[in-house]
Amino acid sequence: MNRKTLIAAVLGLALLAAAPLLTSNPYYVHMIGTIMIYAILLYGLDIVVGYTGQVSLGHSGLFGVGSYTAGVLFLKLGAPLWLIIPASIVVTAGFGALLALPALRVTGPYLAMVTLAFGTIIQILINEMNFLTEGPLGIKIPKPSIAGHKLSEHEFYWLTFALMVLSLVVVHRILKSQLGRAFEALRGSPVASDCMGVSVYRYKVYAFVISAGFAGLAGCLYAYSEQYISPNTYNFELTVLFLLAVIMGGRKTRSGALLGAAIIVILPKLLDDLEMFRVVASGLAVLMFIGAVVGIAKKMTTPKAMAIPVVGTIALAGFSFWLQSITDWRLSIFGLMILFVVYYLQDGIVGFARSLFARKSNADTRIASVSGKDAVMVAAHAGAGETGTDLLVATGVLMQFGGLKAINQVDLRIKRGTIHGLIGPNGSGKSTMMNVLTGIYVPTAGSIEFAGSSVVGRTSSDIALSGIARTFQNVQLFGEMTALQNIQVGLHHTFNSNFVDVSLHTPRFNREESAATERGLGLLDFVGLGDLAFEEARNLPYGKQRLLEIARALALDPQLLLLDEPAAGLTAPDIKELVAIIRKIRDHGITVILIEHHMDVVMQLCDTVSVLDFGQKIAEGKPAEVQANEKVIEAYLGGTVA
Amino acid sequence: MEILLQLIYSGIALGMIYAVIAFGYQLTFQTSDTLNFGQGDALMLGAMVGLTLVNMGVNYWLMLPLVIVFGLVQGGFVERIGVRPAIKIKSEFGWIMSTIALGIIFKNVAENIWGRDDLKFPSPLPESPIKLFGANILPMEILVVVGAVLMMLAVEFFNRKTIYGKAVVATFNDRDAAKLMGINTGLVITFSYALSSATAGFAGALIAPLTLTGATMGSVLGLKAFAVAIIGGLTSGMGIIVGGIILGVAETTTGFYISTGYKDVPGLVLLLLVLAFKPAGLFGKSAIKKV
Amino acid sequence: MLSIKNLEAGYGKVQVLHGISMEVPKGKVVTLIGSNGAGKTTTMRAVSGMIKPTSGEISLHGKRVDGLESYAIAKQGLAHSPEGRRVFATMTVTDNLILGAFPRLTGSRPKGDVPGDLERAMDLFPRLKERRNQLAGTLSGGEQQMLAMARAVMLNPEIVLLDEPSMGLAPILVEEVFRIIGDLKARGVTMLLVEQFAAAALKVADYGYVLENGRISVHGEASKLRDDPAVKAAYLGGGH
Repeated sequence: MNRKTLIAAVLGLALLAAAPLLTSNPYYVHMIGTIMIYAILLYGLDIVVGYTGQVSLGHSGLFGVGSYTAGVLFLKLGAPLWLIIPASIVVTAGFGALLALPALRVTGPYLAMVTLAFGTIIQILINEMNFLTEGPLGIKIPKPSIAGHKLSEHEFYWLTFALMVLSLVVVHRILKSQLGRAFEALRGSPVASDCMGVSVYRYKVYAFVISAGFAGLAGCLYAYSEQYISPNTYNFELTVLFLLAVIMGGRKTRSGALLGAAIIVILPKLLDDLEMFRVVASGLAVLMFIGAVVGIAKKMTTPKAMAIPVVGTIALAGFSFWLQSITDWRLSIFGLMILFVVYYLQDGIVGFARSLFARKSNADTRIASVSGKDAVMVAAHAGAGETGTDLLVATGVLMQFGGLKAINQVDLRIKRGTIHGLIGPNGSGKSTMMNVLTGIYVPTAGSIEFAGSSVVGRTSSDIALSGIARTFQNVQLFGEMTALQNIQVGLHHTFNSNFVDVSLHTPRFNREESAATERGLGLLDFVGLGDLAFEEARNLPYGKQRLLEIARALALDPQLLLLDEPAAGLTAPDIKELVAIIRKIRDHGITVILIEHHMDVVMQLCDTVSVLDFGQKIAEGKPAEVQANEKVIEAYLGGTVA
Repeated sequence: MEILLQLIYSGIALGMIYAVIAFGYQLTFQTSDTLNFGQGDALMLGAMVGLTLVNMGVNYWLMLPLVIVFGLVQGGFVERIGVRPAIKIKSEFGWIMSTIALGIIFKNVAENIWGRDDLKFPSPLPESPIKLFGANILPMEILVVVGAVLMMLAVEFFNRKTIYGKAVVATFNDRDAAKLMGINTGLVITFSYALSSATAGFAGALIAPLTLTGATMGSVLGLKAFAVAIIGGLTSGMGIIVGGIILGVAETTTGFYISTGYKDVPGLVLLLLVLAFKPAGLFGKSAIKKV
Repeated sequence: MLSIKNLEAGYGKVQVLHGISMEVPKGKVVTLIGSNGAGKTTTMRAVSGMIKPTSGEISLHGKRVDGLESYAIAKQGLAHSPEGRRVFATMTVTDNLILGAFPRLTGSRPKGDVPGDLERAMDLFPRLKERRNQLAGTLSGGEQQMLAMARAVMLNPEIVLLDEPSMGLAPILVEEVFRIIGDLKARGVTMLLVEQFAAAALKVADYGYVLENGRISVHGEASKLRDDPAVKAAYLGGGH
């Protein structure tokens, strides 16, 4: 965070803290308090929605769990504040873990449905379990006491403020650490995450648990703030409001969460006041019209694209004059807002504002990359073995999909320190073999031994951590993260810091984080991308993206590197660079399996070449031998067909 | 024992409604890899529009095809406004949120037009139960089962016997190849949304006389029908009928033997369990990941 | 019949075709050969509308078709038997064939005699005749390839695009496929054939283009290309 943003943030927070002193109206104090409480929940929700990229329709349920933990503990046990707060967090986090279980293997709309079902079940349970929750009657909770002194409205406000700032700092630290990068990787490419050692299952659970913890804290504070809780608060509409807040405010930003919270708290109140709404709607229509005219004049957009928003806002303003009361149409307004944000404001208000004042990403050049000292560390795993010994032995591998034998009894022996080529016509089974070696497919039969232990049946993330790294035929980078961050995901295995270390920025974490940055920059230098460290991966030219993928794979300190058509789509100069880099990699002692169609690349680099055709190995040997082999020529050119 | 049988009959009728809604989910998912989170609200609108027509004096049997037409239009609208733009920008988040948003808007509009209270839908058939194998069954329940089965058979017939139906099935199978055949797959997707809302609306008009009809009737129904669609693996027609019946019976028995407050729970728990253990559904085929 | 000028196309950031030009005259069989990744399938997809070209012109019968949706191009009389066959697996062989005639049955192309053409297609592809009511997904690879080709022919097309018909097929079936291509040629069907297996393709074609890294490296009469060492080099590298 740079200086200007930091100052602005501190000022803003100071203003927020001073609010009770600036206004004498308790109504406003309570309202701002509610905004902060919602913000706490939204910081957590952003982890799931903004970072891992999933839709969660269950957070109102988690919010309810937090509130009711507080309520029940107070009602049944008369528990004190210092017990209730952590209890709310822990219990809700537990529910978050419970929610993560069915959510593990699903994604997208299925995940959304799972969270919705979960939230609905919670609401039903709260409503029905009278013996615990008093059911529809609700629970009354007075303001809490600290050391016998009952907190006044203002004092409670400052407690809320303190907890909100604490949450802000913790969430910020988590998201800027290796945990945050892991979460983003999940959205960028789940397959690549697994193959870089970041287990999608595990981090999905973490994301849900952490966001649930914050929801629990928010729920607990909400109970005290409202002094009365009942089941019908924690319904579908609230969950949709939370989502609206995150996407409208702006995902992946803390200020967006605060802004979103403010919008969803203030908006209903705004909508209760029809006069106010008419003014706002008219103002909005005028603004939109002006904005559209300016945009069209500046050629930033077309009349066709602006037609809907302009007509829509004018219609809304007209509608507001026709109506007698707007309260009943609240939900429709929210629905329309969601539609608007989804299609026109994908990065939210904060995101949009940022893009208007787009600054080039500031390079944090204080940490110099360690050139000279080579960042590519070979797995200095004990027993690294000598060149020429067997590193990977695959015997009788069979991969069958229904009736199709994609790999049919293939034996492969990869010797340490060599570059082993794997070639063959389309559909011969090369990529399937890659996927089998990295655990994406489990072979139907056969054995695969890597450095002494079997690979078959292990998860991709496990295999990656044991020393096999890969690149992908279709580039699988984490698009929204910078080049350096992509590599740092590959370096995830170097982190032993946990949630506590990250939140507190312990020496261990600081050490590991700067080591990762240093090493990451070094790896980028190795592939010649040093000066692009802070560019978003999706903005890099295609050739450089391929190199970045290789650097990322190297971050795993692999003994074996699998390259899947690394030269595909590259121009001649790029290919030259690629060949030089692959040689460098081999010179560091890393064994390479290379799938390629560019024969000249294969000829230049490989020590041995295996040829597959129809899932079977038809030839193997030195490149020149294979090139002249009749069976190979026939397989490629189809020589003897009638 | 009689009571159990009665519960089973009611459960089957309820289950068929779930199956019809689930059928709608399958339709749109197969043609476009998207679904309508507001499917339950489409059912509710069908019931409400049907109620209005019936109160205006339209004969129940005439009302049904009118509700179907309304559903076709409503579904087409959802696709145009909510789904098509999202498919264009390839945003899954987009169509999830926009179909949710449209569902909310429809529900709110319904609340404002018809009020928030539940209304009674006049039953076109006599309300006194008939005895079947010793237990009571309402004539309306029989109508629901017959209506649902007829609707699904009609769609099957359309798919198998008409060239346009075949075009829809081709789009299910392989969208790109279908386009090569000269099939306008965008239109097919719009049509599948229209059809899925039409079947949901029809289901709504069928079940309305049996339950309380109100603006909120769709929400949880839609969610539970999704569970049924998942059990059917989003590809198998038989699967959703079986799943629907299982769920319907589980609900009526829970509602009676445990408590009505808990009656929604089996469906929701079923959804969670199926997605946790067999996401491809009990009848579906698991997809092979391609990297 | 089909004219391609300076076609450039690719996927997202990757540009695969760097300006290729080809002609397919009426009644002739033209083949486009080259190694994997050279851009053959990309060319086919750009022609049939599955992907939009970034620049260049594609004309069918003098009418521009680049940039159109694939269903619109199909209605102009271009049939594409795609890479990987892509038959409609849950439908019968007969239904697959009927769908090939979709534009004829829905008014976008002259109707002609669809049932008659169906029978004639069955005669041309005897294996399909035996299996007319079988689900397409249960056919073997070779049979699916026949089905894809027959389906394309059912359009009564002006031109047929055949994309890698031999892919994944055992040699015996590849023979049969090429024999059928020869039959179609004898009936005067205009074809653009993309093939990985240069030898077979050049035997059946009249004219050939060799694609290397997104550019045409060599082209000429098929009989002459067969012995050209540049062809072998394009596939197996070495020597240029």
